[in-house]
Amino acid sequence: MNAASVPALPQATTHHRVRRAARTRPPLRMALNLTSMIDVIFLLLIFFVVTASFTLGEGIITAKLPQGTGTGQSSDPPSLPLNIIVSAAGQHAYRLELEGYAATPMDFRQLHDQLVAIQYDESRNRTTGTHKPDDPVVITPAGAVRWQHVVDVINAVVRARYTNFALTQAQ
Amino acid sequence: MTMPKSQVYPRGPARAEFNMTPLIDVTFLLIIFFMIISNFISEQSVEMIVPRLTESTARELESPRRVVVNVAPKPYNPGDRADEPLAWPSQAHWVEVDARRFDMSRLEEVTAVLDFAFKRAPRDGDGNSLLEVLLRADAALQYDQVAPVLTAIAGAGIDKVHMVSYLPGHGPNEQRTQP
Repeated sequence: MNAASVPALPQATTHHRVRRAARTRPPLRMALNLTSMIDVIFLLLIFFVVTASFTLGEGIITAKLPQGTGTGQSSDPPSLPLNIIVSAAGQHAYRLELEGYAATPMDFRQLHDQLVAIQYDESRNRTTGTHKPDDPVVITPAGAVRWQHVVDVINAVVRARYTNFALTQAQ
Repeated sequence: MTMPKSQVYPRGPARAEFNMTPLIDVTFLLIIFFMIISNFISEQSVEMIVPRLTESTARELESPRRVVVNVAPKPYNPGDRADEPLAWPSQAHWVEVDARRFDMSRLEEVTAVLDFAFKRAPRDGDGNSLLEVLLRADAALQYDQVAPVLTAIAGAGIDKVHMVSYLPGHGPNEQRTQP
């Protein structure tokens, strides 16, 4: 780097001397106090991290358990239970069957509709069927049926207002 | 000011003034502390994808006397299964009750734990135990994996179980809606 490229320093002028005189006073310190801001931001950060809930809401559906302790001593099913048979079709699919009825529901919404259609409940104006809401309903899933579909069937039964239903052992 | 000067404090009476800052600091810390604690209490659950139902009738359970029986799937990466929860090995990994893990071959110990909790729990007027059992099982599990756990619960003399599913609008790949 040669001397020619260095910019010339400003000449000492009157103006310059005035500025220097002003600087003899203690300079105004432009320091921002960050500590309190960081404190508050930290608190806000923690507050929002804590209030944010990353869990998904879970609810419950209540069902009766399979009877017996798996040693073959199961109680007799009550008279005329409505059997819902769930079998696995392929890896993720399912097949539903309402025992004694020819029409097979294709999904859980159809199952619900069919369960409503065969129900007899005057208070809800359901008079097309014969099954009372407290008649027993037995859900028989095959062993390979996914738990998702088992609970879906229970949900359809509950939604159709059947109150007395139970699961059976896996077959 | 014509106030008489104090003999002890010649500069005048001390001014009674509250410094609120430390009080607010401490209050804030306490609030956060209790929030964290309550979050820990509600989130000590095993990670899994519970069933998401079509037109669900699932409701929230209020009962404080409950035991959660978790049937856990094999470990997974939460992002991988969000779109297709059932695309996962359908074998159960282990059962967890009261933060204790049991192998699928040791379900009689689950029965023993539940039996103890069931007998110890307070009873209603008719002498029935008030304990509620919640079954959290992964949606992808096969029924023949879950059924032995159901049998183990029934073996403790419990004939009713609450099955956990997502509340309507709360599925893993669903837009989160606040109730």
